[in-house]
Amino acid sequence: MIEFIDIVKKFNVGTPDETTLFDGFNLKIEKGEFVCVVGSNGSGKTTMLNLLCGSLPVDSGKIVLDGKNITKMNEYVRAKYIGRVFQDPQKGSAAKLTILENMALADNKNKRYLLTPAINKKRMDYYKSLLEECNMGLENRLDVQVGSLSGGQRQALALVIANMSDIDILILDEHTAALDPKSSERIMQLTDMFVKEKKATALMVTHNLRYAVEYGTRLIMMDKGRIVLDKAGEEKQNTKIDDILYQFNQISIECGN
Amino acid sequence: MSSVLACMDVFLRDGLMYSILALGFYISFSILDFADLSVEGTVLLGGVSYSLLVCKGVNPWLAVIVAFVLGSLAGCVTGLLHVKLKIRPLLCGILVSTALISVNLVLAVVGNGGSFNGEGALSTISFSRNDPTVLRTFPASLIPDKTGAFNLRELITFLVVALIFKWILDWYLKTKNGLLLRATGCNEQYVSMLAQNPGRSKITGLAISNGYAAVAGALIATSRANANQGMGIGMIVIGLASVIIGLSLFGKLRFLKPTTMVILGSIVYQACLAIATYLGVPSAYNKIIMAVLFTVALVFSNSIKKGASKA
Repeated sequence: MIEFIDIVKKFNVGTPDETTLFDGFNLKIEKGEFVCVVGSNGSGKTTMLNLLCGSLPVDSGKIVLDGKNITKMNEYVRAKYIGRVFQDPQKGSAAKLTILENMALADNKNKRYLLTPAINKKRMDYYKSLLEECNMGLENRLDVQVGSLSGGQRQALALVIANMSDIDILILDEHTAALDPKSSERIMQLTDMFVKEKKATALMVTHNLRYAVEYGTRLIMMDKGRIVLDKAGEEKQNTKIDDILYQFNQISIECGN
Repeated sequence: MSSVLACMDVFLRDGLMYSILALGFYISFSILDFADLSVEGTVLLGGVSYSLLVCKGVNPWLAVIVAFVLGSLAGCVTGLLHVKLKIRPLLCGILVSTALISVNLVLAVVGNGGSFNGEGALSTISFSRNDPTVLRTFPASLIPDKTGAFNLRELITFLVVALIFKWILDWYLKTKNGLLLRATGCNEQYVSMLAQNPGRSKITGLAISNGYAAVAGALIATSRANANQGMGIGMIVIGLASVIIGLSLFGKLRFLKPTTMVILGSIVYQACLAIATYLGVPSAYNKIIMAVLFTVALVFSNSIKKGASKA
């Protein structure tokens, strides 16, 4: 279970541009939920993810994961429990390494990186089977440098890598936004498959309202650091795009977008 | 004809000797994308510590290892300044190399048994005829000293040392730790997501690269039969130019490992300098030739990168 408790987050503190994004933000996410988060730009979606992952510090408040207070934990320490896929496909793997090397590194997550050979030939079939699930032909290109893959392929690889270790939380930060429609469709199907397979708690930020309605078990809409809509269970399943589109337009009109 | 061979002898020797420095730069500059200026200090630190130990009769190979360890420690300081105190790479290098000027001077003066009253008089450590350098002890002593114009023993010893350090680096880069280092250089965020501290990886890389620089310093001192305080000057240009020339000149040859390319780059660079001397360019022009060669290498590698991104 993830809990945000009385979170306060300000930006540009001490300058005339000081803005308060979160002022007493609270959110509770149950284990195994697949939460889709929508909202206009600047509503605090990505900031919420950054606070959870430790990429940004909170000003006050607590973040609790399964009863553990992780507020003060370093980003790389929290990463033990978290798998993350970014909007930028380049962030999810190391460009100068081959697919095989990237997967070998990810395979060792939560173990120590000692002076032992990085690549274990016995694991190759396992890597290939993971890549086959993506259906992008990556399984035959293990020795290709990741930098030469397309955005969709790299994002699929990032998704596989994020799911290779035992994670409690899967963070998806607008991870289809930089892809063409066909690739993003494929990545969404893969995401759904991984979430169901792993039974991890998933948190997906998206600008695509259709994905938000189609996928996931809970839907949250954010505006100016507050939650303005929160549907779960049956209520979420019965939600139509038009319902949230109306609400979304209301927010956007207020913002002047 | 004999002067051509003598010229070859010089650039092969220098190329091999500086190739270890270049391998160090390959780690910091190419893999970690960290422009490390502390090398000017660590080359000298290696030269001074090695020379001191050899003059005291310590086994020279042990002295090389001590030089490596001291260089690595200096590299750790550079890394810690950057990672813990968030100081920019260029400044970290300047700080460490500046501090090392004093360290080296004190080491040399004290090691020579001098005091600080007669300033600078003893800051150069020279080997006497019988000091057991790596060239004068087993196993190098088994090789004939000279054949014709070639200083065979020196060439073979330096070649073997360069190859050993190349193989160690090749091996390291294939371990889990080495792969993590390479990942740190291209994507720190990715390393964080693997639940690893990218800062630690950077410090490791800088420690190894400065250790390599110090070993190069030990070989330079061996070859020149002394370690003087001016030894470190110009090392950044030599190291970086070798790496860039090596990787851009031989980059297309897929069957070569990058470490091999760097060693070849170092030899090519020294060959250019030796040829200039051979053609009668006065040695006062050496540094300007170095700078021009470096510029050419930079432009060349940029145009290759552009070509690659277009394709």
